[in-house]
Amino acid sequence: MDKYIRNIYKGVYTVLVGMRITIRQFFEPNVTHQYPYEHDFEKKQNVREIPKGYRGQLYNRIEDCIGCKKCEMICPVDCITIKGDKLPKGEQLWDSMNVVHLKDGREIIGILDGDDKKIDLQGSLTLTNTTSRLGPQEVIDRLEPSNDDTRTQTISGDEVSRVVTRNPVVFYLDQFDIDMSLCMYCGLCTEVCPTECLTMKDSLEGIEYSKFDRTDLIFEFDKQEMYNKDDESSIEAAD
Amino acid sequence: MESTQSTESKIIELQPFTDEMIVNMGPQHPSTHGVLRLELRLDGEVVREAIPHIGYLHRCFEKHSENLSYPQIIPFTDRMDYVAAMNQNWGFCLAVEKLMEADEEKEFAIPERAEYLRVLICELNRIASHLLSFGTYGMDLGAFTPFLYAFRDRERLLLLFEKVCGARLTYNYIRIGGVSEIIPMEPGSIDEQNFLDEIEEFLDYFEPQIDEYNDLLTSNSIFSERTVGVAVMSAEMALSYGATGPNLRGSGVDWDLRRDEPYSIYDRFDFDVPVAEDIPELGAVVGDCWSRYKIRMDEMKESVSICRQILAEGLPDGPVMAELKAVRPPKGELYFRSEAPRGELGFYIVSDGTPKPVRVKGRSPCFSALSALQELSQGLMVADIIAIIGSIDIVMGEVDR
Repeated sequence: MDKYIRNIYKGVYTVLVGMRITIRQFFEPNVTHQYPYEHDFEKKQNVREIPKGYRGQLYNRIEDCIGCKKCEMICPVDCITIKGDKLPKGEQLWDSMNVVHLKDGREIIGILDGDDKKIDLQGSLTLTNTTSRLGPQEVIDRLEPSNDDTRTQTISGDEVSRVVTRNPVVFYLDQFDIDMSLCMYCGLCTEVCPTECLTMKDSLEGIEYSKFDRTDLIFEFDKQEMYNKDDESSIEAAD
Repeated sequence: MESTQSTESKIIELQPFTDEMIVNMGPQHPSTHGVLRLELRLDGEVVREAIPHIGYLHRCFEKHSENLSYPQIIPFTDRMDYVAAMNQNWGFCLAVEKLMEADEEKEFAIPERAEYLRVLICELNRIASHLLSFGTYGMDLGAFTPFLYAFRDRERLLLLFEKVCGARLTYNYIRIGGVSEIIPMEPGSIDEQNFLDEIEEFLDYFEPQIDEYNDLLTSNSIFSERTVGVAVMSAEMALSYGATGPNLRGSGVDWDLRRDEPYSIYDRFDFDVPVAEDIPELGAVVGDCWSRYKIRMDEMKESVSICRQILAEGLPDGPVMAELKAVRPPKGELYFRSEAPRGELGFYIVSDGTPKPVRVKGRSPCFSALSALQELSQGLMVADIIAIIGSIDIVMGEVDR
């Protein structure tokens, strides 16, 4: 009998101890969000910030790609297919250029003054024959004034995050397919890329994986008009 | 029965066995932690035999590895124990590094900074893994609240991992010769300071939280009634089945590879290894479900203490990756084991001097722990099977590989 009552007491007491902890949660802010009703992407309400360097969808800037096939070789699941051919001897798609990645996400393409192997980020960089991409429209307008041959841009070293050398392309890419239904998001391919043209998007904008056909998930990055030499807009940097 | 009624003594013979019934439990049963199918031979509600059928998650890890170069295998180890993927990465990298050390021509040393980052991240991952084990064990036994609390805290850890390596579950962070540089973190920079501050903030929040969880679930009468004294695994039995990690320490064997065979820089830290003891006031005996569960709760505290020691020292300066030209171990073979959250994770690698291994074998702690289920469950009730599966803390991705 004594044990019986002690059991009841123990049961009630330990449950009450647990109840005290759960009741305390009533007075704390909610951790969960009612997903479709409480978020608003435009107002950035309850939208979790995706950290820089998040391994999202693969994206290849084909105009920087030199077709080295390193990513194809390192891929553990063989989701990248590259077919390329050499251009006729003596022809190349552009001269050696530098791509300066700024910390605010802009990129400026041009030829760096001095030796680009020894870049001093303490001072300032001078770029000639520049063009800018992926920036806000007003920046592009400012950087692309009338004089074609003397576009010079001086950038303070504090703004620069990294400088990439863009080698002349002697390779003509016929095919650059990434099968996103196979990709395992390990990020090995982006690490070996010498020109840093193959990246993983760290945002969820424009990512759409729901397709009716599996072959629609093969992303073809070579289907851009950049190899048409008459198209000035795409190979402007090479002129 | 009529014959017994006719006699005067009226002895009623109890039939010790009724008709046996075979019941399938799983593969989609929510408490089997993945896709485990148990074939139960039941006598009423008493389990005569529980035969695990595994292989639903088999992905040919070992055969895959024979066709991949060493760095390419690391993402596949992520998929073994996906709850503690950092530790799986580390186990494989340690094995390959040990194999490469035999080559005296190509000397390399893993940078200090990388070693500290590895220990820090892996201990945090151990906390995340034990949190998941604690949460799901509570849910298996009918307490839903601990599950929500555990996932709330685990989410903070996953966000930390996401910041350091860019992924939430399959990290591919620890590489052969160091750690990944995919998100650069310069020594002494604001990024590093923010990262360490965030960990400190988490530890400050989490340490009192463990005591709260002990109040909430560990000492709860309903929970202890289900687990205390159930499925006692003796030390001999644990050793003979090859159970390792918290399951072995729950059976009273004082064995932790981090302390007894220190790899990496574990010999520099001061931490206790929790070992199960009899608790008379609760009725818990060494080796029962409650002891195995309690070991995990205590281990979380030790992991917090290791992380705090690293934070107090600060991360050393220097690179995070050794200077390796190519990962090409010399000819030879090696077995290396490390202490993953679920026990001894071993990799046996045979190399012929090429960039690809000839054979890789993964020794998974969950597989050995699951093999003890058949003996543990004999004579118990069906509901106790749930308690056993939760207490040996298996992840089917690692059992099947």
